[in-house]
Amino acid sequence: MRLRRSTSTSLMLNVLVAACALILTFPLVWIVMMSLKQQSEVMTWPPTFIFTPTLENFRVLFDVAQAGATSYGTIKVDFLTPIANSVVIAFGAVTISVLVGVPAGYVLARRDVPFKEDIAFFILGFRFAPALLVVIPLFSVFQRIGLYDTYFGMIWVYQVVTLPMIVWLSRSYIEDIPKDIEEAAAMDGAKPFRIVLHIVLPLLKPGLIGASLLIFLLAWHNFALGLILSSTRAPVTVALLKLLNPGVQFYPVMAAGLVVTMVIPVVLIVLGQRHLERGLTFGAVK
Amino acid sequence: MDPRGINGTVTLQPTAGQLASSKDEPVKSAGEWRLDWWSIAAVVPAIVVLLGFLFLFFYGIFQSLTDLRFGRPLVHLVGFNNYAALIKTEDFWSSVRATLGYAGLAVLVEAIFGLALAKLFATEVFLARLMRPVILLPLVLPPMSVALMWTTMMDPQNGILNYLLSLVGISRFAWISDPTTAMFSLVLIDVWTYTPFFALIIFAGLQGINDEVREAARVNGAKGWATFRYIELPLVAPYILIAAVFRLIESLNQFDIIFGTTQGGPGDSTAVLSVRAYIVAFQNLAFGRGAALMVINWLIVLVGAFAMVKLWRFVRQRVS
Repeated sequence: MRLRRSTSTSLMLNVLVAACALILTFPLVWIVMMSLKQQSEVMTWPPTFIFTPTLENFRVLFDVAQAGATSYGTIKVDFLTPIANSVVIAFGAVTISVLVGVPAGYVLARRDVPFKEDIAFFILGFRFAPALLVVIPLFSVFQRIGLYDTYFGMIWVYQVVTLPMIVWLSRSYIEDIPKDIEEAAAMDGAKPFRIVLHIVLPLLKPGLIGASLLIFLLAWHNFALGLILSSTRAPVTVALLKLLNPGVQFYPVMAAGLVVTMVIPVVLIVLGQRHLERGLTFGAVK
Repeated sequence: MDPRGINGTVTLQPTAGQLASSKDEPVKSAGEWRLDWWSIAAVVPAIVVLLGFLFLFFYGIFQSLTDLRFGRPLVHLVGFNNYAALIKTEDFWSSVRATLGYAGLAVLVEAIFGLALAKLFATEVFLARLMRPVILLPLVLPPMSVALMWTTMMDPQNGILNYLLSLVGISRFAWISDPTTAMFSLVLIDVWTYTPFFALIIFAGLQGINDEVREAARVNGAKGWATFRYIELPLVAPYILIAAVFRLIESLNQFDIIFGTTQGGPGDSTAVLSVRAYIVAFQNLAFGRGAALMVINWLIVLVGAFAMVKLWRFVRQRVS
């Protein structure tokens, strides 16, 4: 049932929504514009809204060979390596988390194991662990056992971000699947392993893909772990912060870097809006 | 049409059910024992991976009781000396104030704006249905990208925000470059980023309210505001609080946005505990002292989260 509204009220509400949407999108639009500007156009006052777009900033960002021969002088940027690092670490972390976390999520949803709720909470609790409290001791441990600045070490550390979420989310998605189906299959004599493989997994697929997208996003977001535990294997978020150092005249290149890091999340919204909503709200939104 | 509006069954029950411990006693038959070994085998890898972090967590607490510095070969247990030294400094208390102020203010403002945004989008006017995915936008961006994005926009010399302010006749604002306005600017960034989090959860709460309840209120003569104040608000209050629990924990731990914009400055006006811990541990190389700061941060998070969960349980009981 919906309220009947007068045309003027409805118009006003639409205007309000448009204003909110503008506030939420304007910073991104502005950054995209900035990334397409020339250095001189960024330094002007008042800021310009109309300009001839250039891809020069993206070239500076990625063109390692040409470094030094740009309008920005001798500032050397290598943005491709951090992106590759982020992709490797995020994919690695997601793969491990899915392999380790989904079985745990299934058991915590369906089976009677001792201390089930305690285990579930123990696992979710890590989502809110203060990262630095773990990372400060980890720094010395990693230096000692030689895991500092390795993909292996980074992928393991990222589990503190991705694993709790995938356990929690896959558990919540599995609870949505009616239990009757599994019970009926068990009645017909199917082995538990076959039930999971042939009945639960196909039903779980969309949710699982959504949850994987979300934890990929969380891995992509992470900054503090990479800042402290890596140097040459640093993720793209750490590389971004370095682009800030040269100062205002370098803003267009940094904007180009920001655009690159923001493209993937925006694409993910298009792919799986509902799953992201569910994941980002810890399952409160279904 | 937005499919969510039609079949989106949106209730807090699953979350609430997960948060409340299950009461049903496990009934085991002899045949299920073999199966349980499978179950345990499925859970153990996840727990083992995470136990490593638990060990590190305790190791961190242990480090906070030592005088560990980077490169120092001999480490002594110093008991609570790190803590005792910390609470004597004015810097520490300003960090505590910054942490509490940042998180408290951000969560409060986000709750209010989030409620307004959710109400607005729940009207389901044409644009509200069309613009639904836009709410999600700030949440999916890396916090570091958000921080740097706002840094460029808040530039006092030629940032776009000061230009927009100049259009309405306000002269240059210092934003993050002045100690008196830096904290306000950071809270503004946090509010822009995480108001949608509240909006999404509260929106789910509003959708869960039975239309009959609203209808009954209207039949009894309740006007729009009264329906909101006495019917909707109490019913969505648990949603607001659960969102506040999550956000409070994360803003008390906030590192990326503050480190990406001010790195604790100017002066130490925005040096929240986590940022100060980073500086102490990795720039001054006093690991023990840094760990002590993080332990205190963790205790604050624990107390804050516990209080909020208590409040949430209390409100939820009153509603149901």
